[in-house]
Amino acid sequence: MERFDIAIIGTGPAGLEAAINGKIRNKNIILFGNSDFSNKLIKAPKINNYLGFNDISGIELKEKFQQHIEAMDIKINNERINAVYAMGDYFALMVNEKTYEAKTVILAIGMEAAKPLKGEEEFLGRGVGYCATCDAPLYKGKVVTIIGYNKEAEEEANFVSELASKVYYIKMDKGDSSLNENIKVINDKPVEISGESEVKSVVMKNGTIETDGVFILKDSIAPNHLVPGLELEDGHIKVNRAMETNIEGLYAAGDCIGKPYQYIKAAGEGQVASLKAVEYLSKTK
Amino acid sequence: MVRELISKNFGEDVINSSTPVVVDFWAPWCGPCKMLGPVIEEVSEELAGKAEFFKLNVDDNGDIAQQYKVSSIPTVIVFKGGEVVDKMVGFRPKADIIKLVSKHI
Repeated sequence: MERFDIAIIGTGPAGLEAAINGKIRNKNIILFGNSDFSNKLIKAPKINNYLGFNDISGIELKEKFQQHIEAMDIKINNERINAVYAMGDYFALMVNEKTYEAKTVILAIGMEAAKPLKGEEEFLGRGVGYCATCDAPLYKGKVVTIIGYNKEAEEEANFVSELASKVYYIKMDKGDSSLNENIKVINDKPVEISGESEVKSVVMKNGTIETDGVFILKDSIAPNHLVPGLELEDGHIKVNRAMETNIEGLYAAGDCIGKPYQYIKAAGEGQVASLKAVEYLSKTK
Repeated sequence: MVRELISKNFGEDVINSSTPVVVDFWAPWCGPCKMLGPVIEEVSEELAGKAEFFKLNVDDNGDIAQQYKVSSIPTVIVFKGGEVVDKMVGFRPKADIIKLVSKHI
């Protein structure tokens, strides 16, 4: 399998700046993200604090970024990374059943406001999980509740319903669902996961479900769930001045490492991360 | 070296062991378990002689998984003198596992 020098996760200013610097240093890079680059960027009406671009809209700035990466022949890989495993001398990046390998990784994943549910972290591994397909067989004949935020969550729920004795699906998104008939759909807002030594119930605004297990299936993954073993500090990825995380060869830049949440700060950090990754590659060769 | 553990030998291999025992609960259908396997193998080589390393397939040995309340895999449990002294849920990098096990050596 091809092993990339640098895998960059995220196409906001931090990720793009990391990508162009990796490219300038002639590294074999792979960039994961989406063609809109960043939702936050395209939604900005007016930007006056990005040096060199006074009075520019987010969309206009996005177009400038686009021209820049196209001129440097940088492609965006439209796949969503579910997990990054530090294997020792390389990283395995998982896209469902597919794997990519890279010697270094730069996380530029932005910041999601969504906080974990009360009890979520406490009961992780004691009834709470993030991968229903992984753990479903452990719930054979038991009651499972899935808090689902997207379409993929419904597919996972269908799979679980073949093994579990009962599946509740708390639907967090709008739109049609394609759930199996034996799944009980609940339209309520989860408030807390409670139990004693293990999960016993999900408390919602208007009721409580008795359950043996809870799977929380979201769009965005918290950084420490994306990269198991990653150290956080106050909800952000902990880095030093070289943008190094607690895992060797793994860097982070932009909003995901802390405030202020600003474009040019993100870009600067992306650059530092990229240059440090290049330095690390030359040392480990 | 990581050896395969089965329910039948659990008492002998884990409970009555004089050194700390590390058990990796896994299953063939679990992606993160597949990634953790080689990492545990490396850890076992680094800590050879100081701790015993086993992997337990939860599909074939569900009784042990239930007894130790394994509700998510991979789960790594450290036993000492037959008692659970530490538990780690989910994939972790090598350095973390070494740290976890070293506390009990």
